[in-house]
Amino acid sequence: MTLPARQAGGGWARPGGWALVALALAALGACSTSGPTPDQMSRTTVETAPADLQLLCANEVAKTTGVESSKVLPVGSRKLDARNYHVDLNAGGKPTTCVVDADGKIVSVQAA
Amino acid sequence: MTKFFARNRTEPGRRRFARFAILLAAGLAVATATALAAGTQVYDSKTRKWVNYDRTKAYRHWKQHKQVPEAFRPQMVKFRTAEKPGTIIIDGNQHFLYLVQPGQKAIRYGIGVGREGFGWAGIVRIGRTAEWPTWTPPAEMVARDPNARKWAGGQPGGPDNPLGARALYLYEGDQDTIYRIHGTPEPWTIGLDVSSGCIRMNNDDIVDLHSRIEVGAKVIVLMQGAALYKGV
Repeated sequence: MTLPARQAGGGWARPGGWALVALALAALGACSTSGPTPDQMSRTTVETAPADLQLLCANEVAKTTGVESSKVLPVGSRKLDARNYHVDLNAGGKPTTCVVDADGKIVSVQAA
Repeated sequence: MTKFFARNRTEPGRRRFARFAILLAAGLAVATATALAAGTQVYDSKTRKWVNYDRTKAYRHWKQHKQVPEAFRPQMVKFRTAEKPGTIIIDGNQHFLYLVQPGQKAIRYGIGVGREGFGWAGIVRIGRTAEWPTWTPPAEMVARDPNARKWAGGQPGGPDNPLGARALYLYEGDQDTIYRIHGTPEPWTIGLDVSSGCIRMNNDDIVDLHSRIEVGAKVIVLMQGAALYKGV
């Protein structure tokens, strides 16, 4: 389903737009009542980055710093926003940070 | 005298400052502990609500269903990684162990991990494995835990043995770290922070994992706020 284009003033392009939005939200609501998939049925109050994303960061840090990959370990992480995670790493004793998005694309790597 | 009066005049202020500093330190300690104690929640498909998952609820769930919540049962998941198949990755915060498979996938198992103060992180390897292993509590556990004392000489393998059906011994180089990935006679503890630093799995799961891994396999342990680091 495609939502109508939004006007510069913030309203919807045509008067019937709100009805479409309501329909879309109802459809989303109907989807969400089915609940999470089995692999998503647990969570923690402190949301860390998924393990695979943390390790993608570790791999990238090893590449960019030249530190042996067996000496690069993620030591902390947190969700930055809906798409991105911040990962703290120990790279051969040096603190390093990395930002990775939910698709596994490395956004940035830098020394802390 | 001047000094005495000066000290006398500032004493209440110092006391107030000391009280403030103590309260601040206590507040920070509580905040840190709260941040590190990442409480687990599981999704209840019947009520369609997220519920806190603690030791009491976990035991009740096990008594009722004879299995752990769905999230902690073995399943194949997407896992984007440069690590080679056969590598074990442990996410201590989320209570999952991943065994990397070909094609950017992994088998995910539920685990129980170290309680507060016993968590650790690092890069180690499987040094050896054992079936129905003997459990010998380390000296510091014998000293602090009266239940461990009677087994100071070693508890033979069996259904009541804390190591369960299989044990994978974690080594740092050629050194035994004293940590293991092992089974458990308390299957309801999967998904909780309960151990003294070992990684525990249901007996069926550790038997399955044991059948799939090779001695020498790399093991990466991720644990936010860990007190101890191994192999890095």
